[in-house]
Amino acid sequence: MAERCGIVGIGQTKHDSKRLDVSMVGLVREAALRALEDAELTWKDIDAVVIGKAPDLFEGVMMPELYLADALGGAYKPMLRVHTAGSVGGSTGIVAASLVEAGVHDRVLAVAFEKQSESNAMWALSIAMPFSVATVAGAGGFFAPLIRGYMRRSGAPEDTGIRVAVKDRLNALKNPYAHLHMEDISFDLVAASPMLWDPVRYLETCPSSDGACAMVFASEKLAEQTQTPPAWVHATAMRSEPTMFSGRDQVMPQASLDNAKALYKQAGITNPRKEIDCAEMYVPFSWFEPMWCEGMLFAEPNEGWKMTYEGATALDGDLPVNMSGGVLSSNPIGASGLLRFAEAALQVRGQAGEHQVDGARKALGHAYGGGSQYFSTWIVSSDKP
Amino acid sequence: MSELPPITYTLEYPYTRTTGPVVGAFLTALRDGRILGSRCGDRVICPPLEFDPDTAEPVAQDLVEVGPGGTVKSWTWIAEPTRKHPFQQPFAFALIVLDGADTALSHAVKARGIDAMSTGMRVRAQWREERASAVTDVYFVPEADAVDTYVPPGEGEVELTEHLISLDFKEAIHPFRERFARGLIAGKFIGQKSPVSGKVYIPSKGYDPLARVAMTEADDVELPPVGIVAGYTVITPVQYYGQKETEPYIRASILLDGADQPLGQQDIKNIPHDEFRSGMRLRAVFRPESERKIVEMDNRWGSTGGVIDHWEPTGEPDAPPEKYLEHLF
Repeated sequence: MAERCGIVGIGQTKHDSKRLDVSMVGLVREAALRALEDAELTWKDIDAVVIGKAPDLFEGVMMPELYLADALGGAYKPMLRVHTAGSVGGSTGIVAASLVEAGVHDRVLAVAFEKQSESNAMWALSIAMPFSVATVAGAGGFFAPLIRGYMRRSGAPEDTGIRVAVKDRLNALKNPYAHLHMEDISFDLVAASPMLWDPVRYLETCPSSDGACAMVFASEKLAEQTQTPPAWVHATAMRSEPTMFSGRDQVMPQASLDNAKALYKQAGITNPRKEIDCAEMYVPFSWFEPMWCEGMLFAEPNEGWKMTYEGATALDGDLPVNMSGGVLSSNPIGASGLLRFAEAALQVRGQAGEHQVDGARKALGHAYGGGSQYFSTWIVSSDKP
Repeated sequence: MSELPPITYTLEYPYTRTTGPVVGAFLTALRDGRILGSRCGDRVICPPLEFDPDTAEPVAQDLVEVGPGGTVKSWTWIAEPTRKHPFQQPFAFALIVLDGADTALSHAVKARGIDAMSTGMRVRAQWREERASAVTDVYFVPEADAVDTYVPPGEGEVELTEHLISLDFKEAIHPFRERFARGLIAGKFIGQKSPVSGKVYIPSKGYDPLARVAMTEADDVELPPVGIVAGYTVITPVQYYGQKETEPYIRASILLDGADQPLGQQDIKNIPHDEFRSGMRLRAVFRPESERKIVEMDNRWGSTGGVIDHWEPTGEPDAPPEKYLEHLF
């Protein structure tokens, strides 16, 4: 990268099943204002706006970036829309960081959102339509067989997924912005919840949320001027692969492994498990925690479940995962990737409140989407690259 | 052989919109016979926006009444309306600057003919008898045609609106897909074998996705109606719009013997869920020939639901995992 890029402002909405108190513009605005406030900046300080969200079909608004421009101070400024399915939030952060790293702009606002209550992603992911599979099953119906494949291949104990679901909901209790605050969460409660997409139980899946996330990126000189030290972007990576081809390993896609290798190489990381202090990863179904622990090379193939089982991924473990409560606790789809990236940045800035990992200096933000085929990741740190 | 039905789709879903304070007030007033604009600095913007495009600050919360008369700034004639247009007779879409407003509202003008339209002409809002708290509660006519009617106020504030949005479209089907579909109707599974990798795809997309070479009719191969369960899930249906299933059902991917890519999302039907498992060998049972129809076929995935009635166990021993673990879907 040519220029260094720092994250100087982070904001998110309270995520909820129905944010009936705000319109779509009101929702994105809430996150963006909080990011500006955190950065001690105003709309006029922003050079360009990058907006990310999942398919337009989700809310039925074509090209929402045009309609949202006024609310985001975007009039007369460069404005870009990003879309890479469920990984879009992550890609939005990467595009914004790239604009600064490339020296194109000095300050960029990235905003990602979904107002799931205005439509129904389950339907949008289920209907027969071009570029999509007619599963009549939603995302869970698509991913359940992959999870079953992982369970068989790894021989992981059957309650691994339940343990992840409990851990993430306990973490969410420490995050005031999380959608789900389940005071009564327990192993038995998850185990007894209905089998929705066998082998995935209801409480092992993510909720449908309304929510938005925003971040302000600044060039080195401007980033150094902020009161709260910035989170420095050390590395970003994106990889993708087709949904279907013969010999494709859908449980552990090559694109995930290639992405991880590229990311660590750029960040100068040789032992990710040891060098990364905490990781916020895209886990919409509980079993994806052990799967992505392998996909991000924290564990050997088929051994990711041991990290969950041994408590390594707990908030007080040696590599905490999903400190915020993760996608399992809040899922405004388009924003979910950026929320992961934002949590990584909050951690290294020491702004994570009750879910802060002590002494976190280097963190991973991770998102994936489509049929386990789009990957976006970054490494951020309190130290300059 | 009879023609395949055209490949058509209808995307349809009821969406909602949380209006927020400004648009909610606008729609409430519109229902009650008044048009409101928002004040942004020295300007009045109609339709109103929540945030001032110049400063990004919230607009003043007290909206101001504009119209019901206005001036046409530009227009276009719709000679052949579609079923979704506001009128089923020829009409105009126009940019109308309402009296008291500084920006134009894009709306429909019901004029007697194209000759009745001109830039700079005066128009006036008319309210529909049936109102739905939507921008279509109103339409415009040339000033001379206007009739003032009493608009009885509705109840409550508009905070949430509902919209059934639908889209119809057609797609030309790829030649291979047509042969695949005709094969299904004849009770056969037609795939394609890559001339480069030797991998057998069903349904094929007409090219080898890894070698990126086109495949032709010469690469077509017939596969037996027998295969193994590569992966599956039992789905407990959630009753979202368009869901037809009410009881738990299986969706399985089935790797036909000789194929390198499974048929995804197969409906299993007659096998008890607790007996179903990966590795199980199954045979496709086709519907009677007269009842076979191609539904939901497209150029990417291909559906077999209108052709295969169900899958039945062959009774052979299960296949070992290494035969199917790389073929989940």
